[in-house]
Amino acid sequence: MTTTTPPRAGLAPRLAALNKVVELGPGRLDQKLLTEAGALLMHAGDRLKLSSEHTVVALAGGTGSGKSSLFNAISGLELSPTGVRRPTTARTHACVWGLEGSAPLLDWLRIQQRHRFSRTSALDKGDSQLHGLILLDLPDHDSIRALSDNEADRLIGLADLVVWVLDPQKYADASTHRRYVTELAGHDAVTVFALNQADKLSAAELAELVIDLNDLLRREGVEHPSVVPTSAVTGRGVESLKSVIATAVGRRRAAIQKLEADLQRMEQRLGEAMPLGDALLVPSSVDEARRMGLTDALCDAIGVPAVGEAMENVYAERSSQWVGWPYPRWFAKFRPDPLKSLRLQDVGDEIRGITTGSVSAQSAEVANAVQALTDGLSSGMDPVWRSAVQQAARSHASQLPKALTEELTEVAPRLDRVPGWWRLLKVWQYLLVVAFVAGVVWLVAGLTVPRQLPATLQLVGDGAALPWVALMIASVLGLGALSGIASRNFVELGASRERERLEREMRRRVAAVSATMVVEPVERELGRHHAFYTALRDLSS
Amino acid sequence: MPSAPQRPSAETETGQPTGPSLFTPARPAERPSLFTPARPAEPREGNDPRPRPPAFWERAAQEPAAPSQQPASPEPTPDAESDPVAASPNADADDTGATPSDIEPEHVPADAASGDDDAPPNDAPLDPHPEEFSPRDTHDETDTTGDDRPPTTDGPLPHVAPAPDADAVPSEVSAASDSDPDLDTAPDADVDTGALAEATDLEGEDADAGPATQADAGSDPAPEAEASPSTEGEDVLAEAIALDDNDGDLDDTPADDEPSDTATTEATEDTAATDVPADADYPTDPGDLAEEEFDVEADTDDITIPGEADKAGTDAADPADDSGETDPDTDPDAVADTDTAADAAADADAVPEPEDPQGAEAGQRVEELPAEVVEAMTAALRALRESVSDLRFSLDLPGAEEARQARADLLAQLENYVLPRVRTNTAPALIVIAGSTGAGKSTLVNSLAERNISRTGVRRPTTGTPILACHPDDRSWFAEGELLAGLERLERPSPDSGTDGLVVVSTEKLPQGVALLDTPDIDSVVEEHHEIAHRMLDAADLWIFVTTAARYADAPAWNLLRLAKERGARLAIVLSRVQPRSADVVLKHFVRMLTEYGLGDIDRFVIHEATVTDGRLPDSEVTDLRLWLAELSVDEARRAQAVQETLNGVLNSFRTRVPALARHLEGQAVFRAELRSDVEAAYLGALAEIDKASKNGSLLHGEVLARWQDFAGSGDLMRSLQFGKGGKAGRQTPERVLAFKAAIRAGLESVIVAAANRAAEEVVARWRHRSELGAKLVEGLDRPSDNLLRHAGRAIASWQDHLNELVRTEGVTKRSVSKLVSFDPDALSLIFTVAMFSGGDGSGVPHRLVNALLGAESLRGIGSKALSDLRARIGMLFDEESMRYVHALDSAGIPDESVATRLFQATYNLEVAR
Repeated sequence: MTTTTPPRAGLAPRLAALNKVVELGPGRLDQKLLTEAGALLMHAGDRLKLSSEHTVVALAGGTGSGKSSLFNAISGLELSPTGVRRPTTARTHACVWGLEGSAPLLDWLRIQQRHRFSRTSALDKGDSQLHGLILLDLPDHDSIRALSDNEADRLIGLADLVVWVLDPQKYADASTHRRYVTELAGHDAVTVFALNQADKLSAAELAELVIDLNDLLRREGVEHPSVVPTSAVTGRGVESLKSVIATAVGRRRAAIQKLEADLQRMEQRLGEAMPLGDALLVPSSVDEARRMGLTDALCDAIGVPAVGEAMENVYAERSSQWVGWPYPRWFAKFRPDPLKSLRLQDVGDEIRGITTGSVSAQSAEVANAVQALTDGLSSGMDPVWRSAVQQAARSHASQLPKALTEELTEVAPRLDRVPGWWRLLKVWQYLLVVAFVAGVVWLVAGLTVPRQLPATLQLVGDGAALPWVALMIASVLGLGALSGIASRNFVELGASRERERLEREMRRRVAAVSATMVVEPVERELGRHHAFYTALRDLSS
Repeated sequence: MPSAPQRPSAETETGQPTGPSLFTPARPAERPSLFTPARPAEPREGNDPRPRPPAFWERAAQEPAAPSQQPASPEPTPDAESDPVAASPNADADDTGATPSDIEPEHVPADAASGDDDAPPNDAPLDPHPEEFSPRDTHDETDTTGDDRPPTTDGPLPHVAPAPDADAVPSEVSAASDSDPDLDTAPDADVDTGALAEATDLEGEDADAGPATQADAGSDPAPEAEASPSTEGEDVLAEAIALDDNDGDLDDTPADDEPSDTATTEATEDTAATDVPADADYPTDPGDLAEEEFDVEADTDDITIPGEADKAGTDAADPADDSGETDPDTDPDAVADTDTAADAAADADAVPEPEDPQGAEAGQRVEELPAEVVEAMTAALRALRESVSDLRFSLDLPGAEEARQARADLLAQLENYVLPRVRTNTAPALIVIAGSTGAGKSTLVNSLAERNISRTGVRRPTTGTPILACHPDDRSWFAEGELLAGLERLERPSPDSGTDGLVVVSTEKLPQGVALLDTPDIDSVVEEHHEIAHRMLDAADLWIFVTTAARYADAPAWNLLRLAKERGARLAIVLSRVQPRSADVVLKHFVRMLTEYGLGDIDRFVIHEATVTDGRLPDSEVTDLRLWLAELSVDEARRAQAVQETLNGVLNSFRTRVPALARHLEGQAVFRAELRSDVEAAYLGALAEIDKASKNGSLLHGEVLARWQDFAGSGDLMRSLQFGKGGKAGRQTPERVLAFKAAIRAGLESVIVAAANRAAEEVVARWRHRSELGAKLVEGLDRPSDNLLRHAGRAIASWQDHLNELVRTEGVTKRSVSKLVSFDPDALSLIFTVAMFSGGDGSGVPHRLVNALLGAESLRGIGSKALSDLRARIGMLFDEESMRYVHALDSAGIPDESVATRLFQATYNLEVAR
C-alpha cells in the first residue's frame, strides 16, 4: 500500500490519533478491537523506542516448509535444528547480524537467551549488507502443536518484515492464507514470500507454480506480491532472498513501514466498525435554537403559561373581593348558593383553597422534552453514540422535575396572596360606603324630620343642601363603582405584568437548570463524539 | 518400530519383500486381519456378532489398564520388546518359561492391523482364512519398539514386577501393532533376533522382571502383564489377547505365517533358542514352529500391545503356528479358549473355534438384513429424512449457520449414503480417499487404477471434482445407483460443476467390489473443496486418509481423524511422500501421535517419495495397498463387515447429530418466544405505569394542575353549577373549560408517549442483550412509531367524549340534586376526570363535588367504566406499537417447533428399527 497510496502524514500524528481513539473508545467501540488498537499502540511505542538500527525479519510458515533450513542457509550456520519429524521447531531461534544494541529488542521479542545467536565479526565476510538484521526462525502455525501455542502469531505481529516460507505442497493451505495473508493485505512492503523446496520441482513446474502463487496472492489483496523461489537444500535462490532482506535491512525502513501497514489495517477495521460517514456533521454543541426549544418544552412541562393565565384569572376574580365595588358582592350573597343546597358549604372554601397548592412539573412531559432534544441532535449518529447521548441527557432525569418545580415555586406568586393596596382600596371602598350611608341618612333625615333635629344638626335639615347631598350620594356610588372598575383594571394589569415577569423569570431559570442538568452532559458527549471522529479522520488522513 | 523392521531382518532373513516401509509391511500382514484388527480397537456395538473384540479391548484397557492404552504406546517402545517376546515366545518359554513374550505378540493382534499385514500380505493376501493373528505383529512391534523401550522398560517394570512376563507382553503387544511392517516374511526374523536379543537380555535379567520391563516399556500395561505371568497367567492374558487377535488378524495371518515361517523358521529358532526361554511354558510345543514363525513375525511387528494381548498372542501364536502349518484355524481357537487359558490355546482344537466366530460373524455380516428389518429401517430413515428436510433454521442465531450446514450434510448423507446403503448392503464398498492438498490423493488413485483418471499437478489445490473409479462390473452401481444419487454424474471434471458433480470412471485394474473415490482437499484456500470432501466422506464405507511426511502434524489432518473416530468410520491411513532416509523417524513419530490419539491400531501404509511419472507412482509403492484392496474385493465377509460397521457408525452418529439439530431448532423457538415475551413485558410494564400514574395523582401536575387551579380559582367551577333545571342549552362552554380539557388531553398524551418511549427502549435493550440477531432485528425500532402521538391524541379525545357521554347519560341519578341544581356536563366531566386521577381516599374537593352531584355509586360506576375504557384504548395503542416488533421478528422467520418433536420421534423410531 505504501507504494501506491500518496504519501501519508508522519507516523507520530497518526499514532496520536489512534491514541485518542483508544482513549475515547471505551463503551463505544467493540472491546476486542479496542484492545487490539491498544496493543498496536503499545507495540508501536515499544518498537520505536527500541533499536532502529535493527530490522526484525521473521521466517514464518507451516510445519515442514523449511523455515529452519532456510534460516540455517541464510545464516550459514546450523543454528536451528532441522528434522523430518513434524513439527520440528517449537521455540523461536534468532540470529543477529551486528549485535550491539539488539539485546533490548530481543528481550522485547522474548527470545530465550539460549536461542539467540550472533553473526558478528569473524564469521562475517560478505554479509556486511545484512548488518542490522535480526533473523527469526518461528515455530509453525498450522500443526496440532500450534493449536495451543501462539508464539508464531505473536512474533508475526511483532516482526518488521515477515518472510512467508511456502513449499510446493502447502503453498495454498487455508491455514496460511485465511489466517494471515488475507488478514495482512496491505503489508506488501514488509512481506516476502519464499517458495522453498524449489529443488523438488522441474523448471517448468516451478514457473507454473510461481505464477499460480502470484495469482492466488493477488486475489487475496496482496497487490505486489514479492515471491522468491528458494531451495534451502541446493542453496538456489537463497542469495536472492538474502538480497531482498538486505535491501530492507539497509534502508532501515521496514520497522516504520510495518507500523504504517499495521496502522492502515487498524484504521480499516476501525472504519468498518464505526464508519466516519457524516458523523462529523453532527453538531458538537447544542445550538441556541435547540436550547430555546428545550426551555420552551420544559416550561410547558411545568405549565408556566397555564400558571400565568391562572394567575391572571384568579387575581382578577379574587381582587373583586377586595377592590371591587362591594354592592354587587353583597347582593350576590342573597342569591341561593348551590353548594349550600347540596350541603357542601365548606367545599366553597376548599375550592378557593385549591389555588393555594403550588404547581409541580409533570415528569412524563419533562422526559419527553429531553427526549425530543436528543432525538434532534443524534439523528445521523451511530446507534452506540446515540444511546450514549441519550444516557447523558438523562443523567439527571430523576432530579430534573423536582428542580424545575422548586424554581417555579420560588418565582410564582401565591395565588392567594393579598397585596397591601388591595386592603387600602378595600378601606377606601368601605369609606365610600360609609359616606354613602351617611349621605342617605342625611337625605332621609332632611326630608322626613328636619324640624326635630337638634340645633347642631340644623344644617341637616337645610332643604337647600339636600340636592347636594343627593348629588354626593350619587357621586359616592359612582366613585365606588369607578374606583372598583379602575382598581380591577389595575389588578389585571398588574397580573399580566406579573405573568410576563413570571414567564420571563421562569424561562431564565429553566434555561439555567436545563443547561446544567441536560445540556452540559449532552455537550460533553457530543464533544467526545466529535473528538472521536476527528481522531478517526486524522488517523486515516 | 519402523526402524526395527526394516533393519536387518529383511536382509538377513529371507530377504523379505518387506513392504516399502514399515507400515506397509506391517500392513500386509494385517491385511487379512485389517478389518478385524481395526475392530477390536473400535468399540463394537451390540450388533456385532463378535462381542469379544470389544470385550477384549476393554479388558485390556481395564485389566492392564495402562497396557491397553498402550496400544497407543505401541508405536514407540513396545514394539521392540514385544518382538523379542513374540519371537521368543518359543524361546522365551524355554528360557524363562516365561511366556511373556508370547503374550505380547498376542497383544499385538490388537494392533493387529499393523502386525498382520506383514507376513500375510505376501502369501495370503487373498486368503480370507482367519488364521493366526497378529502375533507376529506383536513381535514386530516389539522389535521396533524394543529400541525405544529399553528406557521405558525401567519405569514400567515396577508395575510389572508381579507378573513379569505377562507384563512385558502387554506392552509389547501394543507396540507390535505399529511396527509390523517389514516383517512380511523372513527378514523380520533377523530383526527379531536382534530385537530378541535385546529383549531376551531384558527378559533374561529376570524371568520375572525382564518381561515386566518389556511390558512396561511397551506402554504401561504392567497390569496385564501380571495377569499373564508366565504360562498360566499368560493363558489368561492370552485369552484376552487372543480375542484381540482373532478379531483382527485371524483371517489373514495364517497364510502369511506359514510362508514366513518356513522362510524364517531357522533364523527364528535360533533367535528363539538363544533369547527366548518362554516357549517352554507352553504345553504345546507345536508352539515352536509357531514360535519360530512368531519370531519372524514378531520381528516384523514389534508393535505395542497390551500385555494381555501379547500373551494371548504368544499363546495363540504358538498353537497357531503349529496348527497354522497344519491348520491355520488353530490359532483362533486358542483365542477362543481364552478362558481356559494356555491349555486351550495349546490345543489345536481351540483353533477351530476362533475360526468359527469369525466365520459366523462374517456370515452374519454378509447376510442381508432380513427384509422386514430393512423395510422398517428404510421407513424410519425416510421419516427421518422428511423431518430433516422440513427443518428450517430461519433465525440467524449463533450456531445457525453450523446447524444449517449440519442439516444439509445430514440430508445429503441420508440420501446419498444411508438410505441406499441400508437397502443394498451388499453393494460394492466405496472407499473415499481424503486428505490434505498435495498429499497425492489423485496420484494414488491413478497408480492404483493404472490409468490417469484424475489430474495431478503442482498447482494447489489440484482436484476440485470428486472422481470415482471402480471395476467395470460395478460401474452401474455408481453410475446409476442410489449411492451418491444427489450428485450429478459428469463426463469429466469441470471447474464449474460446483459442489454436486461426480465423475465415474471404470477400470479393470481395480478389483471388483471396491470403488475408489478421489476427493478434493480438506485444507486448501478453496473452501468449497473442504465441503465436497466432507460430503464424500459422509458417503464412504471406508476412509483412506492420505497425508504426507511434511503434513502429518497439520491440524486439519487431525481434525479429520477426529471426525473419523467420532463417526466410527473404518479408516486406513496412507503416509506418502516419505523420504526413504527419514522414513524410520517419521513413521515412529507419526505412529506415536496416532497411538496417543487412540488410532494406533488402524491400517497404515507408507509410500515413499518417488518419481511420479505420468501422474502415477511406481507400482512397487502401491503394492501393499493394491493387495489390501484385493483382499477386500475377495473377502466379501470382511467387506460387508466393514461396510456395516461404517454404516453403524453413521447411524450411531445420528443419535447425537439429529437431536442436536432438534435442540437447535427448539433453541430458535425458545429464542423467538423470549423475544416476544420481551416485547410483551415491556408494553405491559408501560401500561402498568400509566395505570399507576392515573391512580396516584401524578397526572395532575404541571399544566393540568395549573388549569384546574385556574378553573376552580376563577370561579368557573362555581359558575358551572346552576340552580334550576336545564335551560342552559345556549350557554357557551367557557374558554377555560376548553383549555383545561386540552391540558388533560396533553397530559395524558405525554404520559403515554413517555411510557411508549420507555417500552421501546426496553425492548431494544433486551433484544440487543439477547443476541446480535436481536440487535439486527430491532434496528430502526428504537423509537415509538411516528403515528403514536397522533393516535394517542385521537384516542384520548374520543375517550373524553365517551366520558362526557357517560356523565351525561348515567350521571343524572341524584334526583334530589337535579331538582335543585343543574350542571354543565362538560365541566362536570372535567371535575370527574380530576376526581378520577387525583386518587387518594376520595375526600378531595372534586370527589365530594361529584359525590354530591352524582352520588357515590355512579361515581364508582362511571369511574371504573371510564378507567377501563381508557386502559383499553391505550392498550390498543400499545398493541399497535408492539406489533412492529412482532412483525420484525416474524420477518426473520418462524421456526416450526413441531419439526423438533418429529425429529426426536424419528430418531427414536430409527433406534427401534435397528
